[in-house]
Amino acid sequence: MTKAILFDASTLISFSMNGILYILEELKKSFNGKFIITKEVKYETIDRPLKIKRFKLEALKLNELLKKGVLEMPSIFNINEEEISKRTQKILDIANSMYQGKSGDIHLLDLGEASCLELSKMLNDKKIPNVIATDERTTRMLAEKPENLKKLLQKKLHSKISYDKEKAKHFKPIKIIRSTEIAYVAYKKGLTKLKGKQSLDALLFALKFKGCSISHEEIEEIEKLG
Amino acid sequence: MIEVDNILNILKQTKKAIAENNPLELKRLSNQTIHSASTNQDQENISIAVTIYSLGKIYQREHYKKLEGWENFNRLINNSLNLAIKYLEKGDLENYKKNFALIGKAINKISGKLKNFISDVFEKARINKASKIHEHGISLGKTAKLLGVTLYDLATYTGTSGVSDMPLNKTIDIKQRIKFAEEIFS
Repeated sequence: MTKAILFDASTLISFSMNGILYILEELKKSFNGKFIITKEVKYETIDRPLKIKRFKLEALKLNELLKKGVLEMPSIFNINEEEISKRTQKILDIANSMYQGKSGDIHLLDLGEASCLELSKMLNDKKIPNVIATDERTTRMLAEKPENLKKLLQKKLHSKISYDKEKAKHFKPIKIIRSTEIAYVAYKKGLTKLKGKQSLDALLFALKFKGCSISHEEIEEIEKLG
Repeated sequence: MIEVDNILNILKQTKKAIAENNPLELKRLSNQTIHSASTNQDQENISIAVTIYSLGKIYQREHYKKLEGWENFNRLINNSLNLAIKYLEKGDLENYKKNFALIGKAINKISGKLKNFISDVFEKARINKASKIHEHGISLGKTAKLLGVTLYDLATYTGTSGVSDMPLNKTIDIKQRIKFAEEIFS
């Protein structure tokens, strides 16, 4: 049975900016499934940064993965991209009206993040096993522990926040991994260029410092697993 | 919708902080605005937060004041700020916006080193404020769009901000997440 990993921009950026996109290429060789990006994620990671000198190299490297077929578009699953975009808008509306502050709805997500959530649901409907790879904190909290996001918003905005528990059900059951868990799997499979425990530590922290939302404590836990 | 009284108050305090050469107060005012910007996500509050933060950084750097073009820049900032306050007091929002926008455009009236330094300050201020809004719980994608920066700009900044180490960020057990990864790659 085929399966899929849906890459959000944040995870691709963590790999790209650390110069370790080869890990995805190596993992893909033995992966019985597809690495997918939506057109919204492609825009954020390739199309737009291609026009910005500072990030053009990262964009070109990711574009190369697309050309090589390491990354693929959802059409590979016979899913119409216009349909994803249409449904993405709906899930975006749900996510962006799930939390209310004193001035009304708090808009939390953007198209790229929402498109991954929607595509995961569409693949679930097709019984295609999938996970979302996102290093982005808010998307993960919204899907996995919305009550924590409420507490965070209250703490930071210094005001009472309410959230709609019915709307939260739209994001279940979505499975999320991060660049750090992907790097760990690659390390365990012996696919990383540098070997040994130091290299695992270095990889995990490099990903954290390029934006992966993982705590020091979680990194220590992964390292204990060996 | 513009919160006229709030903005007026912030601009008056900004003017005072510049006159008293108090960059710390400018930073505080910018942070105050970022709360509203995170909730309302209106361009007005975002623009104010970025501009005041940038002014704080600019006025803090004494060596800028010795560079060619400083006096012109300083005069433009003060004039625009005075006019923005005057029009806001009159309830003339159109002219307020026009004059407040001139603060950011003052860069175009100077040249040389000072222009480069100040452009850099404004650009970094946008990324800094984006990072602050993200800290408030707004996603990277949404924040990047609001501030007009890229996700690449934000990645390094948020990675070193300490946001990920907040206990509330932990959503499921790490062993469970490793299991998700191992299962999908099995």
